[in-house]
Amino acid sequence: MADKYLELIGITTRFGDVEALQGVSLSVARGEVVCLIGPSGCGKSTLLRAANWLTPPNEGTVRLDGSVVGHAPQGRATAAQIRALNGHRARIGMVFQQFNVWPHLTALENVVRAQMVVLRRDKSEAEAKARQALADVGLSDKMDAWPERLSGGQKQRLAIARTLAMDPVLMLMDEPTSALDPELVAEVLAVLQRLAEIQMTMLIVTHELGFAMRVADRIVFMEAGGIVEQGPPQELLSNPRTDRLKAFLDKLSLTTLPKDREHAEI
Amino acid sequence: MKFDISYTIDALPRLLEGALVTLQVTLVGFVLSLSLATALTVMREANNVRWAHRALAVYISFIRGTPLLVQIFLIYYVSPVIGLDIGPYTAGILAITLNSAAFVVEILRGGLASVPSGQFEAASALGLKGPALWGKVILPQTFIASVPPLVNEFTQVLKASALLSTITIVELMRVSQQIFSRNYHPVEVLLGTFILYFLMCFAVSRSAALIEAKLELRRG
Ligand SMILES: Nc1ncnc2c1ncn2[C@@H]1O[C@H](COP(=O)(O)OP(=O)(O)O)[C@@H](O)[C@H]1O
Ligand SMILES: [Mg+2]
Repeated sequence: MADKYLELIGITTRFGDVEALQGVSLSVARGEVVCLIGPSGCGKSTLLRAANWLTPPNEGTVRLDGSVVGHAPQGRATAAQIRALNGHRARIGMVFQQFNVWPHLTALENVVRAQMVVLRRDKSEAEAKARQALADVGLSDKMDAWPERLSGGQKQRLAIARTLAMDPVLMLMDEPTSALDPELVAEVLAVLQRLAEIQMTMLIVTHELGFAMRVADRIVFMEAGGIVEQGPPQELLSNPRTDRLKAFLDKLSLTTLPKDREHAEI
Repeated sequence: MKFDISYTIDALPRLLEGALVTLQVTLVGFVLSLSLATALTVMREANNVRWAHRALAVYISFIRGTPLLVQIFLIYYVSPVIGLDIGPYTAGILAITLNSAAFVVEILRGGLASVPSGQFEAASALGLKGPALWGKVILPQTFIASVPPLVNEFTQVLKASALLSTITIVELMRVSQQIFSRNYHPVEVLLGTFILYFLMCFAVSRSAALIEAKLELRRG
């Protein structure tokens, strides 16, 4: 079904006594951009990391385009299951708060490596792809740079290029701009906005409400391991139905007030 | 007996030959040690098998808790008894390898600890697994972080290889002994030996500084 491209069904994740996710279900349609918001520790990262089975949940199922990415609880994974999972991961791009670019490789090599190893592309094809991906994120002039020499914004754009070169069908982003100096946030958000414009399916954890308002088709508000409220950005942010979202927005607006909301309140 | 530098000079060509053997056994022993330690490190990390960890811990504490000389003798004299007909070179290199690996495992543990968990995650999220994940992403960073202690370990092995003279391996120390037991000029001959050991270690640590400078940019 078109409106259920990525399906997270009944995801429950426990860390010891902490139940980080309590049977969360969420679907993302093809080409849809969903922003996840919510207070720190509410389970946003854990949900995102369940989507590519990076943190396998205790219970629940993840499907991508109808095929099972992971299903829990499950015994020891078979070799075939591991292969299938890695096949899925190759098509699901993930962008981390801390970039996680590979410091021992140049920018170009960062983008080339996984293509060659995982997708078995030959060197010339992988390099052509990498140059294109680096150009897409505005790093054409940094091909041969070491990550050490890049700014935070450039590192994050490199990380995005690394996943783009894999021809992802879905992008998961965990606070992609939270580790950046304020003046570097815009250049990364601009890249994400372009991805949204070309209909990349994305699930983005963010605290940038202004950005979410501009690019998201839907905003999902989480709290304490569950989804509290979701809907179109404008509607959700200017007209929160639950007290919990209201409280969250009020607290957030002390620091970063999205403009539209500011006007709505006056 | 007066000090006569000409005995040092006369001994030099043969001492150099011995130094070459010293370098060879050191290099072979160190490369084997690094390979073994790398395999053990990956195994320790990848399999959460309790007994494997225990076995590794016991191995490390035995090696570190006994003199290398005893280990060399043990391997050299015990191997024929248990039916292994290995000569002194194989026995000596085996002893050096097993000894050094116990230290290199600890060095690599430190190097690995400096690789952020996000590096594993990013690689896994891209679909890398097993040998590719370790070989392309984790181990290169582990080695880069471990260069200074690894170079130090190399010089330790180089110096320790002098002990192999006791099991008839004709490396620098043994050559030196052979020469002065004949010409009765130990001081002059040992001076040459001393200088050659020092130069080898010095060259190794200097080249390490160059490698370090090269690798500086490849650190996160
Ligand atoms: N690896 C982990 N081990 C133990 N607890 C964890 C781990 N990861 C997350 N948690 C806990 O799970 C809860 C949800 O965390 P997380 O998903 O990171 O929240 P968020 O991303 O919304 O800030 C928190 O209480 C956090 O402390
Ligand atoms: Mg988080």
